[in-house]
Amino acid sequence: MAIKDEAAAQTLDTLGRVCPYPLLLTKKALEKLASGQVLKVLTDAPASAEDSIPRYCEKSGFTMESVKLEDKGMWELYIKKS
Amino acid sequence: MEFTLMFLVSGLLIGGAFGFVLQRGRFCINSAFREVLFQDYTMLRAYFLAVVVTMVGANLIEAAGLLQPAADGTAGQLYRQAFVPWANIAGGFIFGMGIVLAGGCGSGILYRVGEGNLAYVVAVFGFFFGIVITKFGFLKPVYDLLISTPVFIGPNSDIVPTLDNLIGVNKWIVIAVLSAVMLFFVYQGKPTLKAKKGYSWTMVGILAGLIAVAAFWASDYFGGRARGLSFTGPVREFFLAVLWGNSQAASTDKTMTLLGMTFSWSALYVLAVPIGAFISGKLLNEVKLKVPPANELITVLLGGFVMGVGAQIGGGCNIGHSLTGVSTLAVSSWVANAFIILGNWVMVYFKLIRPMRDLDV
Repeated sequence: MAIKDEAAAQTLDTLGRVCPYPLLLTKKALEKLASGQVLKVLTDAPASAEDSIPRYCEKSGFTMESVKLEDKGMWELYIKKS
Repeated sequence: MEFTLMFLVSGLLIGGAFGFVLQRGRFCINSAFREVLFQDYTMLRAYFLAVVVTMVGANLIEAAGLLQPAADGTAGQLYRQAFVPWANIAGGFIFGMGIVLAGGCGSGILYRVGEGNLAYVVAVFGFFFGIVITKFGFLKPVYDLLISTPVFIGPNSDIVPTLDNLIGVNKWIVIAVLSAVMLFFVYQGKPTLKAKKGYSWTMVGILAGLIAVAAFWASDYFGGRARGLSFTGPVREFFLAVLWGNSQAASTDKTMTLLGMTFSWSALYVLAVPIGAFISGKLLNEVKLKVPPANELITVLLGGFVMGVGAQIGGGCNIGHSLTGVSTLAVSSWVANAFIILGNWVMVYFKLIRPMRDLDV
């Protein structure tokens, strides 16, 4: 099952936040989750969605799926803590 | 007439290209410095790559005689900023702190305006405020004091210190050593030109560097001085032109009058940076009008102001000093850059690391 179809343990809304809050808040939320849980992050900061958050997930060994809402200029990121 | 059109077009093209590349490559020097504290060196590698390209390219065009000769007929040179120790140190440190609060560096806040976050419009206004209050307003006495002790070297104390003339070695040896060290670090990050979306860090580092080199040539040819890319003076000049009709550019710099406003060459490319970023963002469907929560907006405004104060005192921002100045080997820029990094780290610790420990997300 794709990560985005799993029930998210938490939804983190970072819409409008300036750099580096989307990444920082995501890291903080993930710290508190148990292994296997999914964090859903809403962000509209391109640098965070396309660069810093994916890179952090890769470095940490977490799986991330990204759903881009093209007409809204925002992303839903689904991160599964390993 | 033709020259005047190219004056305008070259500025808009260079600014627009820079903004486009920054947006597409998510390039931010504030992030590059900050992320070191979190053991992520990707943006730092992009920055180093940009520095190497700019340093080699700019010094090459100077050596090749591609810059306009000086008034006395001597070969054209890159503009190397005078070393003013207290100003470079204090200004750099203050600027480094400001960029953390503002959520972006001098180029970062400009390009992100093009992505639609109005916080960055606020940051840019704060930046302008800080610059002008320092150069002309109530902080002027402090500013004048800090810039009153420049340090020159040479038998007549009239030579601007550079890394090479300070140590007393050939400039190209310094360039070669610095490039080798930086490229080694870059290589460790496994550079790649491929990216799933936008530009990879390698690509943006190279492109930003190439544009910076082009800006040295163009600022010299059209603007009268090989100033290269910088944002502090140019932001000031842009707003002064729009608000009071005159950029109040340096006497060495050429200007152009459009619709009753007299612009320096650099002032024009400032305008084009967010436009170029907007074009890139729009093509990627990443532009969205948004605002942060209210208290964050106040922090950004304060950050922009602090950035402006620091940049004016220090004589440059993360582009003026950290990219352009560092590439000319001017001691002022290397010192200012070191303190920008320190200021960034100090503020990251107090504003981002410590509060996050107790935060309940």
